[in-house]
Amino acid sequence: MKGTIDPGSFRDPAGSVFRYKDEVYRQITEVGKADYDALMSTGLYDALIAKQLLIAHKEVKNDFDLSAYKIIKPKTIPFISYPYEWSFSQLKDAALVTLEIQKVALAYGMELKDASGYNIQFLDGKPIFIDTLSFRKRATDAPWEGYGQFCRHFLAPLALMAKVDIELNKLLITAIDGIPLDTANKLLPRTTKLKPGIFMHLSLHARSQAKHAATTAATPKQTKVSTTALLGIISSLGSTVRSLRPKSPHTEWADYYNFTNYNSSSFGEKKKLVKTLIKKTKATQVLDIGANNGLFSRVAAEVSELVISADIDPFAVEHNYLTLKQNNEKSILPLKLDLINPSPAIGWANNERQNITKRCQSIDLVMALALVHHLALSNNVPLPKIFEYFTQLAPYLLIEFVPKEDSQVKKLLATRKDIFPDYTIEGFEAAAKKYYKVTQKVPIKNSHRVLYLLERKG
Amino acid sequence: MESLIHFAYLDPGTGSLVLQSIVGVLLGTIVVLRTKIKQLYYKFKNIGKKEETTPEE
Repeated sequence: MKGTIDPGSFRDPAGSVFRYKDEVYRQITEVGKADYDALMSTGLYDALIAKQLLIAHKEVKNDFDLSAYKIIKPKTIPFISYPYEWSFSQLKDAALVTLEIQKVALAYGMELKDASGYNIQFLDGKPIFIDTLSFRKRATDAPWEGYGQFCRHFLAPLALMAKVDIELNKLLITAIDGIPLDTANKLLPRTTKLKPGIFMHLSLHARSQAKHAATTAATPKQTKVSTTALLGIISSLGSTVRSLRPKSPHTEWADYYNFTNYNSSSFGEKKKLVKTLIKKTKATQVLDIGANNGLFSRVAAEVSELVISADIDPFAVEHNYLTLKQNNEKSILPLKLDLINPSPAIGWANNERQNITKRCQSIDLVMALALVHHLALSNNVPLPKIFEYFTQLAPYLLIEFVPKEDSQVKKLLATRKDIFPDYTIEGFEAAAKKYYKVTQKVPIKNSHRVLYLLERKG
Repeated sequence: MESLIHFAYLDPGTGSLVLQSIVGVLLGTIVVLRTKIKQLYYKFKNIGKKEETTPEE
């Protein structure tokens, strides 16, 4: 065949995703033919496209030496992200899209075969379903095979994030098929388990799974679930998800922008500078690391197509996403990212979901504003190592040097021994020049900070 | 006896299937009742008015 099959696309006999010349396609096998045709002919596809719930596609000629029934080319998702990188509300909205799709599908005599978090991606600021082959004709009174998966991939992490700790969707990194329900059940407080939705879909569900895992029946029990019953379950899951809300945040980053080292005039100037410098590079995709609530990401979005607005603080990312929703912004993708321990590759052969560095191959420019002191001082990463890693992410780097005179750095070093003799502007530039050429260097007025635009060597 | 369910590719878990058939009856009934109550409410609300409108569900 021409092209390579996506390493994460092997479970479904109905088809698979493959890449050829940097483009993404999906092949539909003979096994998937009937359900695909039903998707298109019943009107379900059109209904989902009209509601912007499913990724649009066009059918293309089979020029790939594949013995497939059809080849389709879906609309491109410019940056791939995963549920463990999303904030609470991003995961919540992804869950609600999944439920809405299942509800609409039932009206057309169809249903979703699965309900995995990896069926959703973000496009133009909104969650969208990308697995076109996830649809099948529903047999009369058939139970929903995706119910268990929905509870593990969406309901369990959301409940844990809302009621225990906002970071708990990180458990999805090691739980490749969603958080096991008995684990979630053990971690949730007793008061939470009194909520009917949580009680039914997590506690009872965990118990039912445990009970029937032990039994080895020769023929599976033929359980019947009418369409009305299934609609009832979907409605209940939806209201349970919608009722979940994270506790109010109180992190060190709240009101960050009120306490930093600028007066209001240098803030406006920094924004102008950032915009001018990014425009110079003609970058279309920007990665803003340490973006906080996305203030400077929005500046970058004025002169580029997509800004990945990444931060370690889950509440900052949440705030960013809620702002984006309110203003209907399309060019920002907020994500949780800890640069000290970025998302690894997971799944079969450590290859189903790619690490974040690999996914950044489409990034043109990395913004590292008010960041380097956290890496070099708080986390003891030597400056040359920082620059070397950034070269793996993008050809351009817009980075702010935050010197020891800066009040933020003084705070960081207040309770530590200063073991950083090379953390000076000379040391910074020397480290940068190992990997980059300095295109521009601009001191920021009324502050000790300096902004650099760097271009990767070679 | 012909298999009622043709499984796709996932292992849905017997426990999940069984639970659905139990809670589904209850939840489905709740949804139906809610709809009926809403329809009744709008019917009573519109008694005496020239046009009767019921909300879509």
